Amino acid sequence: MQYMILVYEPEAAYATPEGQAKLKDIVGRHMALAAELKAKGVQKDGGGLQGTETATTVATVNGQQTIHDGPFAETREHLGGYYLIDVPNLDEALAIARRVPVIDGGKVEVRPLIVH
Amino acid sequence: MSRFGAEIAAARPRVVAALAGRLRDLDLAEDAFADACASALVVWQNQPPRDPAAWLWRAALRRAIDAKRRATVRERARHDPPEPEPTPEEALMAADQPIPDERLKLIFVCCHPALAPDARAALTLKIVCGLSTARLARAFFVAEPAMLQRITRAKAKIAGAGVPFEVPARDAWPERLDAVLTTLEIAYAQAYEDAALAGETAGFADEVLRLSGLLAELAPNEPEVLGLAALARFAEARRPARLDDTGAMVPPERQDAGLWRQDMIVEGARLLDRAAGLGRSGPRQILAAIHATHCARAQDGATDWSTIAALYDALSVVRPQAAVAVNRAVAIGEARGAAAGLAELAHIEGASGWLPYQAALAGLSVKAGRFDDARNAYAAALALGPAAAERLYLERRRRDVPAQAEG
Repeated sequence: MQYMILVYEPEAAYATPEGQAKLKDIVGRHMALAAELKAKGVQKDGGGLQGTETATTVATVNGQQTIHDGPFAETREHLGGYYLIDVPNLDEALAIARRVPVIDGGKVEVRPLIVH
Repeated sequence: MSRFGAEIAAARPRVVAALAGRLRDLDLAEDAFADACASALVVWQNQPPRDPAAWLWRAALRRAIDAKRRATVRERARHDPPEPEPTPEEALMAADQPIPDERLKLIFVCCHPALAPDARAALTLKIVCGLSTARLARAFFVAEPAMLQRITRAKAKIAGAGVPFEVPARDAWPERLDAVLTTLEIAYAQAYEDAALAGETAGFADEVLRLSGLLAELAPNEPEVLGLAALARFAEARRPARLDDTGAMVPPERQDAGLWRQDMIVEGARLLDRAAGLGRSGPRQILAAIHATHCARAQDGATDWSTIAALYDALSVVRPQAAVAVNRAVAIGEARGAAAGLAELAHIEGASGWLPYQAALAGLSVKAGRFDDARNAYAAALALGPAAAERLYLERRRRDVPAQAEG
């Protein structure tokens, strides 16, 4: 089964000099995890996103589309990256999700892809 | 229930679990089992089975495999030429094997931490114990459509998210087992509360008792599993004494110990001893020990409050919750005097809008001779909407508060 692992983190936590040091460490751990998952043939895709200051949202209301600056939702945690993995079941997906590095306050969501 | 109800109930966990294991589909397993039960009730009238579980397993598996095959053929017919007529040999071969024991896997699936805790409890009681949605709705105080939705959603998540039908790996075991135990605790708390009410769903506690016993049989080296099974037995032992003739609640220390079921207490003690022998303490074992200490009054004639207070000290470390803190304060009040109990109660923050807190405050205030405080606390407790049995008890205690001012 394919699962999307979505990584949500409070962006503000990375803003401080201390946060920048943590970012370096976390990015390193992402690289190591992704390399391992790719070597095992588990990871299908993945990547990190630039900050929400680069986000643009296309909203559709009553059939009318408008373009907005910024991410679609004003929450503390924002989507910062993802892994697309192929594993036999949810337990294995959760075991990988636990290993995804996040800064304190981060959340990792696991969602199965629709099976066609 | 029909005359074969007991046989069907006893066979259910094993047969449904085996069906779910083979079919990897909880709905299909439940439907096939229900179909098999329906025909059992007809066939068994004239030919009582030698082994009811084996009979139900064979009948249900054949039906399920037929249903699955029909669905597959229907699905394929839309796209491809029809398959050659399937032979029933595969079904017969599987059905003639002994029933595989998949009960632990089924419990782990129904109690998966990826499901909401209240959904886990409902799903486990429905699938493993066979409680109807209507009965679960009453037991959990929700409308039937809401309960049906809760169960349907949980089943859809299991199927959609790919929850595996497997006993978890060793490293995940503690967390997964904890989820199972929490589920059983929720189920039992619901059943226990129910008994204090009108008993509309009486017998529901029996199911949880059986379930905890089953888990103890399937995971005999897990002390917390044994602790929970013991706890359920000690609590159930006191059921006949929990309400008085007027339907009012009676707290353990005031119950007629002669009404307690000694067979259950003995069974609980045996389980708790086995748990202790494994040398890993935990909250369910401590709770069971508290219940055991209450039950010991049947022999000793008095409640050993010092031991209960010490056990609550230990429990409050592993479960730093308001409910534990309130019960601890009550035990300390009994063991070392009302002033000590009230002092402990005063440390608990943010619990004044909570019924057990006000009831404890009232009881300790009476003991301390602070009758005005007691009356106020009883009034506050009654305003918080206690269940009928507890309301009767609290009203009586309020009437019994001496009228004269303190001092």
